Amino acid sequence: MTTDIATPATPKKAVTKKVRRATKATKNRGAVLFFIAPFSVLFLLFYILPILVAIYQSLLTVEREGTFGKPTEVFGGFVQYARVFQDDAFWASILRVLTFGVVQVPIMLGLALLLALLLDSPLVRGKRFFRLAFFAPYAVPGVIAAVMWGFLYSPKLSPFTAITSEINFLGADLVLWAIANVVTWVFVGYNMIIIYSALLAIPSEIYEAARLDGASQARIAWSIKIPLITPAITLTAIFSIIGTLQLLAEPQVFKSFTSAVTSTFTPNLLIYSTASVPNVNLAAAFSVVLALFTFALSFTVLKFTQRKAD
Amino acid sequence: MANRIARAGGALVLVSALALSACSTGASTDGGTDAAACAPSDGPVTLSFTTWLPGMEDAVAIWNEANPDIQVEVQTGPNGNGGTYNNFFNQIEAGNAPDLGQIEYDALPNFRVQDGVVNIADCAGVLDAQDQFIDWTWSQVTFGEENAVYAVPQDTGPEGLFYRADLFENAGIAIPTTWAEFEEAAKAVRAEGGYITNFSQSDINAFAGLVWQADGQWFKNDGEAWDVTLDSPESIMVAEYWQNLIDQDLVAVLPPWTDEWNNGYNSGDVWSWVSAVWGANTITSGAPDTAGNWAVAQMPQWNEGESAAGNWGGSSTAVLKGSEHPYEAAQFALWLNTDPEALSSMNKTANIYPATKTGGDLPAFSEGLDFYGGQNIYDVFAAAGAEVNPNFTWGPTMTQTYTDVADGFSAAISGSGTLSEALTNGQQKTIDAMKAAAIAVNE
Repeated sequence: MTTDIATPATPKKAVTKKVRRATKATKNRGAVLFFIAPFSVLFLLFYILPILVAIYQSLLTVEREGTFGKPTEVFGGFVQYARVFQDDAFWASILRVLTFGVVQVPIMLGLALLLALLLDSPLVRGKRFFRLAFFAPYAVPGVIAAVMWGFLYSPKLSPFTAITSEINFLGADLVLWAIANVVTWVFVGYNMIIIYSALLAIPSEIYEAARLDGASQARIAWSIKIPLITPAITLTAIFSIIGTLQLLAEPQVFKSFTSAVTSTFTPNLLIYSTASVPNVNLAAAFSVVLALFTFALSFTVLKFTQRKAD
Repeated sequence: MANRIARAGGALVLVSALALSACSTGASTDGGTDAAACAPSDGPVTLSFTTWLPGMEDAVAIWNEANPDIQVEVQTGPNGNGGTYNNFFNQIEAGNAPDLGQIEYDALPNFRVQDGVVNIADCAGVLDAQDQFIDWTWSQVTFGEENAVYAVPQDTGPEGLFYRADLFENAGIAIPTTWAEFEEAAKAVRAEGGYITNFSQSDINAFAGLVWQADGQWFKNDGEAWDVTLDSPESIMVAEYWQNLIDQDLVAVLPPWTDEWNNGYNSGDVWSWVSAVWGANTITSGAPDTAGNWAVAQMPQWNEGESAAGNWGGSSTAVLKGSEHPYEAAQFALWLNTDPEALSSMNKTANIYPATKTGGDLPAFSEGLDFYGGQNIYDVFAAAGAEVNPNFTWGPTMTQTYTDVADGFSAAISGSGTLSEALTNGQQKTIDAMKAAAIAVNE
């Protein structure tokens, strides 16, 4: 009787095991899909799809009859792109933000690095307070920060009229650097946190070894900390370059404080005003070219810094 | 009574049916743009209306009270060039524009060329309303064409000279009646430490008003192609006049519509403003500390003894493309801009001056305003309105023209280039933009 039961039991067990493994696999696949679905759907809908639509739009051109004919969109090939490359204002705006970036990004990252090193140094007291204090400006939305600084710079309404009535921060010569100051104020803390968390990840044994060898804090910072956090600095540099090319909120807000910020001040402002004409096809072509340019620049910086690191 | 309840019940069913059909048909509402299709909808409808007139809710409440079956919901936004037009263009593109929108006369060609406004000529009563409106406003909304009405005129913006009566009197400076006197007065005011006015570097439509007064034109449309004449002799004359004042530091150059600008007027730094009738509201809200000290005179003239007037702004109410109820929307637009009660309400909340021939006779326009020292300012604007050249034509890409000329004016203020150069550049950029949009234009 025992054998009778035992004999069929073995294959039965094998079968159930096989089935169980199969269901486990499909169950897993379901779980995987379930967990990546929210990201994938949103990514496709709000990232990939708009890019595809922009590319498609940029390849169209408008045709109409006479002075008030209804517009019809037809395939125009690279007509819009030809306009982009002939547009002096667009390239002038790119040059303007590049000038901005060459000056502002090193200053901002230099400050962020300095603050991060100070926070990481054993010599400084009240670290928690300073960490929060340095980071606080980032918690202020960019538009609010720009409005606040706009008033601070304002010749008549500023609390510091003694300075602002003498130096016109909102004039054509200085307004770009006035904006650079706002951007620096907002983003130093943000970049500092990234660099600081990289510093925290450095094993403390290295510091002990350095101290045993008689290295000073400055020496440790220069020869150990900075080389080890280079990847974090590279990352913040890439973010900053992308952010610089995409400047929009601060100059847009400053438009209501000064007329020195024109409608073609930054590439994104120019795209915005082109879309308001409305000429969506040309605006789409501008966007695509700007995106490619940003990508190329970020990639070059990445390649350059990586080769240096090797 | 019983009949009314039955109707309400039937209406409810219809609303749900409409809601269902609205869901199923989605964005395929192109039928609404066809003038021939202007028929009443069955049952009650709700219309959305986007405007930037302060207090429009009050006028709409009067309509909603009287028309339970056609309810209007007001949405307010920034002024047209400040963002509402941009929203309209995007909404039209996306197929979810409001039924009705406030559009200034200068922006109407832009909307028409983008196929964004509905021709409501075949909606009942619209063509018959022509006689009620001031002739030039009607030609702005019809583009001078037969059987075409693209909006209902709302108000006009005849210009006058708002000035600080107290400051001029204390300083013993006469109110200038010609532009030559204006320059002399500007020097006298500057000697007192103030500025006679502010040159609005980004209000290109205000500058257009000055060109309009000088009998200039910026655009011409012969049906075949556009002519662009931003650099016409009249236009350049006005530009050189103001350039001269700017060069001598006789006018302030505060960016308009900012707190800095309000402060300029509120603090008494700036003494006058050549502006449209609706500017009365702007001063009242922007310079509250100066209440009672303002007065209005005819705007300065190019030739002594004339009474030419410019016009700045003035809006219409348009039915936007995609509206499913063009008939009801047209009825509301007609009522809003002709009904005495509605016109009085809009004047009370936004100081607008109606585009109807008899609108100026309303009691609201025969009263003095305390803010203006008890003066009945509307007398001045009514006289100016009669002098406005009825044949001023706006171009089809005004948003772009304004932006490009404003960029040039701002550069001129900052010391690079002149106002005349800005107009010449704006001329070329406008032609380029029209070509880019495949709009026929003569070079």
